[in-house]
Amino acid sequence: MSIRINLHPTLYSFANNQAVVEVNGRTVGECLKELVKQFPQIKPMLFDKKGGLLNYVEIYVNQGSSYPEELAKPVRDRDELHITLIIAGG
Amino acid sequence: MLTKDEGERYDRQMMLRGFGRQGQERLKRAKVFIAGAGGLGSSATTYLTAAGVGIIRIVDHDRVELSNLNRQVLHWDEDIGKRKVDSAMEKLIKLNPRVKIEAIAERITEANVSELVAGFDLIVDAMDNLPTRYLLNKTALEKNIPFFHGAVYGFEGRAMTVIPGETACLRCVYRGVILDEKFPVIGVTPAVIGCIQAAEVIKYLLGIGQLLTNRLLIYDGLNMKFTEFRVKKDPNCPHCGQLARGNR
Repeated sequence: MSIRINLHPTLYSFANNQAVVEVNGRTVGECLKELVKQFPQIKPMLFDKKGGLLNYVEIYVNQGSSYPEELAKPVRDRDELHITLIIAGG
Repeated sequence: MLTKDEGERYDRQMMLRGFGRQGQERLKRAKVFIAGAGGLGSSATTYLTAAGVGIIRIVDHDRVELSNLNRQVLHWDEDIGKRKVDSAMEKLIKLNPRVKIEAIAERITEANVSELVAGFDLIVDAMDNLPTRYLLNKTALEKNIPFFHGAVYGFEGRAMTVIPGETACLRCVYRGVILDEKFPVIGVTPAVIGCIQAAEVIKYLLGIGQLLTNRLLIYDGLNMKFTEFRVKKDPNCPHCGQLARGNR
């Protein structure tokens, strides 16, 4: 189960300046868990202290919104995840 | 009815399929509300003025500062200290004196938002903070006014169009809050996103093309990529979901 995670540009520096990280997992949650395992510094950028996804983090699976229940959303081999962050500047 | 002068001014766009004199007359009759005269507002307003929208109301309570000038291209060095809406109106009137520009130097609040947007055909969200964006989104839904969202950060920008009652709204997509703090940005980013918002407005007014509805477009200027994400109406959305309808 190889899943490609496209990181938001603000996360590149926490992943050895990579834009895309390959992980294994059957759900979005498992994929993010493996991402954090590879790059522990990413964890506080994505999760709150209780392990929930921060409310300004958006996860898309094959470019479709995974909201609600993002972490439980199943993924399949070669699926593509995008992690984006809401922005508000004008 | 277009004047001879307007016919010549807008000749090139009236040549477009689906535009014509009739389309130009539609633009001339339109009343567009622009929330914010900053980076996005500068870009969106400039192109809507050039295109010949009838009435543009710009609302912003800020004054021009030196640090705005890298991106807010309606404001120039000589405008530092002026109210942004006055600075913007001066340039826009020179660009196209046939467009009526209304400048309102007020902060958009829960108390005045209904009055500010009353009678306008659509709202362009060119704000710089989420609470006001949410307030405008909610008001747009309540008043059945299409809402054209844009936001920027650094080299990144995003845009989405909301048709009340039909498509996902800003709150279906944005659930969080982020701190209202100084953010990095390069002027080309709001230029790109503001133009996308203006293009959406023009298409909506003319009834042509495919709007950015139920789609969030993200522009990544660093890697020069546009990525489109599918979004959908959230039945539990606090603004347009069942809960919101029950509260109205």
